Amino acid sequence: MSTKYSGYLGRFLDIDLSTGKVGEYDVTDEMLEAYLGSKGLASKILYDTLSKGVNPLGEENVFIVNTGPLVNSGAPCTSRFNVTTKSPLTGGILSCNCGGNFGMFLKRAGFDGLILRGKASKPTWIHIEDGEVELKDAKDLWGLTTEEAQEKLPKGTGKMVIGPAGENAVLYACIISQERALGRGGAGAVMGSKNIKAITAKGNHKVPKANPEKFKKDVRKWVEILKEHPSTGEMMPEYGTAVFINRCNAANTLPTHNFKRGSFAEADAVSGETLAETRLTGNFGCASCVIKCGRRVEVDGKNVKGPEYETLGLLGPNLENPDLGLICDWNYQADLVGVDTVSLGNVLGFAMELNENGLWDNGLEFGKVDNISGVIDDIANRRGIGDDLADGVKRLSEKYGGKDYAMEVKGLELPAYEPRGAVGHGLGYAIANRGGCHIGGGYMVYFEANGPLTMDPLTTRAKPQLTAMLQTMLDALSDSGSCQFTGFTTIPKQAIELNPHGNVYRVVAKSLELMGPMMELILRFPKMLAFVPPMALMQHPRVITDLTGMKMTFGKFLEIGLRTYMIERLFNAREGFTGADDTLPRRSTHQVQEGGTDTTVPLNQMIRIYYRVRGLDANGAPKHDTLRRLGMRA
Amino acid sequence: MPTVKFYASLRKVTGEREAQIQAGSVKEVLQRLSTDYDGELRRYLKISSILVNGKNVIHMKGKRTRLKPDDVVSIFPPLGGG
Ligand code: SF4
Repeated sequence: MSTKYSGYLGRFLDIDLSTGKVGEYDVTDEMLEAYLGSKGLASKILYDTLSKGVNPLGEENVFIVNTGPLVNSGAPCTSRFNVTTKSPLTGGILSCNCGGNFGMFLKRAGFDGLILRGKASKPTWIHIEDGEVELKDAKDLWGLTTEEAQEKLPKGTGKMVIGPAGENAVLYACIISQERALGRGGAGAVMGSKNIKAITAKGNHKVPKANPEKFKKDVRKWVEILKEHPSTGEMMPEYGTAVFINRCNAANTLPTHNFKRGSFAEADAVSGETLAETRLTGNFGCASCVIKCGRRVEVDGKNVKGPEYETLGLLGPNLENPDLGLICDWNYQADLVGVDTVSLGNVLGFAMELNENGLWDNGLEFGKVDNISGVIDDIANRRGIGDDLADGVKRLSEKYGGKDYAMEVKGLELPAYEPRGAVGHGLGYAIANRGGCHIGGGYMVYFEANGPLTMDPLTTRAKPQLTAMLQTMLDALSDSGSCQFTGFTTIPKQAIELNPHGNVYRVVAKSLELMGPMMELILRFPKMLAFVPPMALMQHPRVITDLTGMKMTFGKFLEIGLRTYMIERLFNAREGFTGADDTLPRRSTHQVQEGGTDTTVPLNQMIRIYYRVRGLDANGAPKHDTLRRLGMRA
Repeated sequence: MPTVKFYASLRKVTGEREAQIQAGSVKEVLQRLSTDYDGELRRYLKISSILVNGKNVIHMKGKRTRLKPDDVVSIFPPLGGG
């Protein structure tokens, strides 16, 4: 490949691990125009490369690592890189996004991305330096924790590594880069199945810029906006994502006792506020970030990454555990062995409920914490009950029962938001392409329960349209290489500072419920938004224009997000996913919360409208006409 | 007496996690807080969300929402995260 667009290095590695042959994958300018980079582009490559039905942990699966144009450009919060593959947990498409340093270094090494095919004959470490690739023997790294492996690898390189869980095919094994994770869906297991322990990169390549002066000026402005915005300049750095524990608890959206309830009496003990008061040693950011939402805490005298909201919720209230110190310990341990803490918290909660209901005598009990650390190790090494637990909630329910309260969608366990307290968020879980995921589902809870501007969390009005719109925006942000948290600034400071008990706020919040038809129209005909939005409103399209030389109108940006969702849908439809897979656990749709809201998620009602808004047929597959409008083909 | 719970930056500003406030409505809670604490809190209260027993008062009767003695009023400044 080589490209007429700036922002890219114009090279995409294609490595066949079975033969050791290194070539390049041809990414065309049309592909960049259609998908921009990162998740969207990688999904297109995966769709074009894989045939139906391959074993996710077999040689035929491919593993794609790539970046968006903004990565390593100097724009804020743009160290994010992407991994896309077929998930061993769901059997569907999987994309993970990470703020570790590997993506920046990959571009410095001269490449926008890489694709791994086949399987190495022995444990291998891939080193990429200034346009060259070396496959190295990883026998001294195999078996090491993610921290030990990173310490052993050469300094001054960007790294991504797996831990023992990835080596042992734990179906929700993650990949770690510095202290950030490509967490969900078992990407670590796919890397392990190819005998790849680590990938490192370094080099001196610079990202070319189409309009360097304007880029510099707009980036300076962007940084100012992020620093002055109440969400990204104040709350995120101060409390990180952990600040949502108390808010979700108050709004009955904090999963407790394997999602049986939406609030936990001792939630404050594991909240962001308590973390800040008792354990926090500082905050930190991914490379190039000005928000710095990461937490640092002390574990065994070491200064390490603290738990995020999801981890706190799922290893705390979901297990009826009020011990913040233990959550910090388990979070660190999970990162060392390389398992996703979201799936882990679900798997443990589900196993506890199975035990409680007499379906599986496994020694795990709600509120009992002394055996959890040992169980995490057992999972990573597939020992004892850990072997079953390593297969995730869906497979556990197939083996032991408890399907109604197996809190997964398409095989992916749910994040830490209880959907009966925020029904639009529930819709998001059901229709996200990678399975139960809050980001892939549009993160509606922010407009329903915990954000500054909230609609009625229990109404279905405009939720399908808003979900589709938010998904589209988040997908486009990801494709650019930017952290999705930069999207918070699209809610203007003035709106956040509206008096939430004043009349103006009420009118604005209410009017969100009336915006469904308008959003549907925009999503159908995004091209009509043929302008580059002003920086104060949305920064990404303008900065992408400065950087790449594409004229990135708001409409084109949305179209990229729309295509990203649609190519993932096409992949899943080819694998046999249907409308029946766009569902929620029965607990969410048929049982009310114990001691909380007396509603369930009215899913069917919302899904019908959502399919219409997205241009999907009754089975959840893209309609011919929708694809044509987006310039796509099945 | 309703219990008023403070979160995030409001804990720093008030120096407390919660307080018992004699009030029959959300409006009275806000008035009492504005007189009992200093001006910094007043600035925050203008932009904070208020939940009564888990429900945002904007979906109830706003400031006119009535309170019973055992109600829990949770006050949150605007949050970012996820
Ligand atoms: S906001 Fe948080 S997750 Fe995003 S780039 Fe910054 S530190 Fe990383």
